Amino acid sequence: MQRRTALIGATVLLAGLGLTACSGGGGGGGDALTAKGPITIWYSNNESEVAWGKATVEAWNADHPDEQVKGQEIPAGKSSEEVIGAAITAGNAPCLVYNTAPSAVGQFQKQGGLVDLSSFSDGAEYIEDRSGDLAEQYQDADGKYYQLPWKSNPVMIFYNKDLFTKAGLDAESPALSTYDDFLATSKTLVDAGVSDYAIHPAPTSEFFQSQFDFMPLYAAETGGTGLVEDGKATFADGAGEDVATFWRDLYDQGLAGQEQYTGDSFADGEAAMSIVGPWAVNVYKDVNWGAVPVPTKDGTSPEDTYTFSDAKNVGMYTACENQGTAWDFLKYSTSEDSDRALLETTGQMPIRTDLATTYADYFDANPSYALFGDQAARTIEVPSGPNTVAELQAFRDAWSSSVIFGKGDVDSSLKDAASKIDELAAQD
Amino acid sequence: MSTLSAGPATPAAGGGPEEAHRASSGRPRPGTAGSPGPGRQPRGRRGLLGKNPLGLLFSAPYLVFVLAVFAYPLVYAVYIAFHDYFFTAPGAVVDRPFVGLENFVTAFTDPAVIRSFGNVGVFLVINVPLTVVLSMVLATALDKVAHFRGFLRVAFYVPYLTASVAVVAVWLFLFNGSGLVNQVLGPLAPTPSWLINSAWAMPSIALFVTWKQLGFYILLYLAALQNVPKELYEAASSDGAGPIRSFFAVTVPGVRPATVLVLLVSTVTGANLFTEPYLLTGGGGPNGASTSPVLLMYQKGIEQGNPDQAAAIGVVLVILVLVIALLQNRFAGGKES
Amino acid sequence: MSKAQTTLRGVVLALGALAFLFPFYYMVIGSLQTRPDPTVAGAFPHPSNITVENYAAIDSRIGLLTGLANSGIFTVGVLACTLVFGVLVGYALAVLQWRGRGVTFALALLVQVVPFQLLIIPLYVLIARNYGLSDNYLGMILPFAINSTAVIVFRQYFLQLPKELFEAARIDGTGEFRLLWDIALPLVRPALVTALLLTFIGPWNEFLWPFLITKEASMQPLAVSLANYISNVAATAANPFGATLAGAVVLAAPVVLLFIVFQRYFISTDVGSSVKG
Repeated sequence: MQRRTALIGATVLLAGLGLTACSGGGGGGGDALTAKGPITIWYSNNESEVAWGKATVEAWNADHPDEQVKGQEIPAGKSSEEVIGAAITAGNAPCLVYNTAPSAVGQFQKQGGLVDLSSFSDGAEYIEDRSGDLAEQYQDADGKYYQLPWKSNPVMIFYNKDLFTKAGLDAESPALSTYDDFLATSKTLVDAGVSDYAIHPAPTSEFFQSQFDFMPLYAAETGGTGLVEDGKATFADGAGEDVATFWRDLYDQGLAGQEQYTGDSFADGEAAMSIVGPWAVNVYKDVNWGAVPVPTKDGTSPEDTYTFSDAKNVGMYTACENQGTAWDFLKYSTSEDSDRALLETTGQMPIRTDLATTYADYFDANPSYALFGDQAARTIEVPSGPNTVAELQAFRDAWSSSVIFGKGDVDSSLKDAASKIDELAAQD
Repeated sequence: MSTLSAGPATPAAGGGPEEAHRASSGRPRPGTAGSPGPGRQPRGRRGLLGKNPLGLLFSAPYLVFVLAVFAYPLVYAVYIAFHDYFFTAPGAVVDRPFVGLENFVTAFTDPAVIRSFGNVGVFLVINVPLTVVLSMVLATALDKVAHFRGFLRVAFYVPYLTASVAVVAVWLFLFNGSGLVNQVLGPLAPTPSWLINSAWAMPSIALFVTWKQLGFYILLYLAALQNVPKELYEAASSDGAGPIRSFFAVTVPGVRPATVLVLLVSTVTGANLFTEPYLLTGGGGPNGASTSPVLLMYQKGIEQGNPDQAAAIGVVLVILVLVIALLQNRFAGGKES
Repeated sequence: MSKAQTTLRGVVLALGALAFLFPFYYMVIGSLQTRPDPTVAGAFPHPSNITVENYAAIDSRIGLLTGLANSGIFTVGVLACTLVFGVLVGYALAVLQWRGRGVTFALALLVQVVPFQLLIIPLYVLIARNYGLSDNYLGMILPFAINSTAVIVFRQYFLQLPKELFEAARIDGTGEFRLLWDIALPLVRPALVTALLLTFIGPWNEFLWPFLITKEASMQPLAVSLANYISNVAATAANPFGATLAGAVVLAAPVVLLFIVFQRYFISTDVGSSVKG
């Protein structure tokens, strides 16, 4: 019986190996770069982006009967990287994904899934003309563009004017620019009982959450530095410690929540402030809100304050057969007119140089967005390279234990994370 | 008049009494010598494909299914665990050297991974015994109850039916720092509150999962209870046994095969815990106090693009669970096949 | 069974039922509220706080009926395969002696033990690339087609049937298939119903696989649409918590109904007497 079992077991394994051998191959050839024809694109399922996407596709299709574009929604948020990664592996990724997270680009590139946009004759030129200096942080280590920087949601502090007034604070010029002021204001809010917390960013451990607490403030404090520069972790310095200690104080004094809140804490009034980008304006339509740049230790003027971009970009995928059309459509959908439509429909900031002046009329008509338009010129991005997610996760794990839950010393925890990240960055 | 079956080569005699004879007398008997069967050729020891090769036929669709859908990915996964591997687009040429045990070493020198195995251990120690005991007791009670039977059964099954995603939202709401449970408990509520408390996070998840899955196991026991012959209970009570004694003397042994099944399934499900830590503590809780190995596999394999390390963790997890399952079968199962 | 013991049992069961039902009850109440009310009083329906808007909100965004239909197709496909082929295997494993029996059982166990996350990408490549089944109901059903837990459960219950039954029939010359169909199956009907209900839950609530394999929103089962809704769209609804719960109630309702209808089939068929007889 033993031997028979082993024999049959071995047969199963061999059969499995046999199947492994017949995994099909075959990808696009070099001609794909210039080929024209129908293409498929994906955009996120954020309602306003869907509206923009459909309109843009319709307009293109009317003029290009031989190069029809088919648009589809793909869920954004936690799971889009899985879907795209799996699609790359299976060879059925669409031509363009209007929801490619910069943190995933390094991985997709390593998988051989992305097309180098600089290989188009006007590739790099187009990107740099459109985005100016901001384009540089979206290059890979060799200076190539595997993503087109598309739109950003510069992270700022939203505050609830009504709750501020109720707590006896100035709702038009709130004292939120230095750490000390911010802490004092927060304490006043919570002591007055107007909300459970002063601010409630997500305290959970997903790798991307640090983009909404540490990174914006670190960018502001250092005048535009991200987590990793030149292959080395940056944040275990004085500025990083200051930022971390500031957040630690908020959690320590009960001014920020340690548990996750189901729903939006700012929209529900559970927190008097939130730290997020302009996509949330639609969610906050029932709140009388104001926005200011994120605080720095000693205060910085708004025109000089940096923040995190929370950008979403467009990637072109190697499974695409008609890359010529895809590139043309990409340029079409990021033209000045299309970007204007994006701005008007979604309120998110196209990554364009001179954004505020190009669309001055829009910002005059919508002053609430003017602040974001201006802030969009000063943003930082996540580290590039194939190990971005692992690096962000290492940082988040250290942050969660020492800053949010107060276990262990903030300084040494940052230093540990920094050395882990140095290792990961060196593996590139 | 007895007629031979239409199936190919089915021996006429049943396997039952013959097996028993073989076991007790120790003397091997040729194929069909046990009972008279009209005109059947005596076969070799067990026949080429066993007594009832029909069994193979019956199982063929299942086996094909497993081969087609399961064997390939599994073998692939084991292969990945021993190579420096990442997934690529079709046609991309990359180097994937064999690296022996390196992935295993990298994965298991990471304290987070060790911690996650420990967490799952805590989970199993709480969840499995609680599940077995509660489901057996509740099923027995449900079986005997006379009124509101339907309603009660539905009540216990409902948590199992609802998708985790939705129930978690309610649970988070209830167990929040300022939620209903803490309001009711008042000063007894732990600080920090349940899911953000390193000591309570995993036990909270264990309680949640036990509550949610119990319906499944109650059902298993309910069905098993139908097969415990009523005569045994009658015999027991005529011997003067009260309800508790007859529970231990009749019910527990009577549903032993179901108990083995419950042990096995709850252990396997527990070891593969993913959804609840993912949803309830959003990626691992305070200090990784509620990470599970499968959660780490998901993070490393799918989010961070390191399927080789993820596969290494997976292989070890599977081996551990198999060992535990074998032990459970040995000690709780008695003479099952 | 004394009166006191009966009452005690009743009380214990009632309390247990209450504890089990409460979150679900809260879910239903929450789905009917205009604004979420976290206080203890909120646990009881307030006439001023009742609305069906949440259902309308989520329906307008994710097409509840289409989602239900897709879930139905997916689940029925899995049920059919499992009931037909799983019963065959379970029977073969429990009652018949054949070469490879041990291996098959070991395989059924192994399939359960291995976590899905380990297999997911190769499986996706296999089904989407090699078999070409993406955006296809067959592709959705395939990894779940024959539920191995059900197989083990079937084996379990066939094992509990007394061997004498089969011998008696075999002596009469009944073939195996007739044995299975006429004799064994009716006796394990509670087990069949059990297995049916157990197998139902998996594909009905399954999120990750259908999510990967379908890109067309019109093909996605309700569990997928609901999960997408929760993570992405809910924030823009008037009462996100309520809308989420509304979707969850719609997802759970058919299963609850099914269970209510079928649970009476757990009544015992008296196995003892058929052996004696």
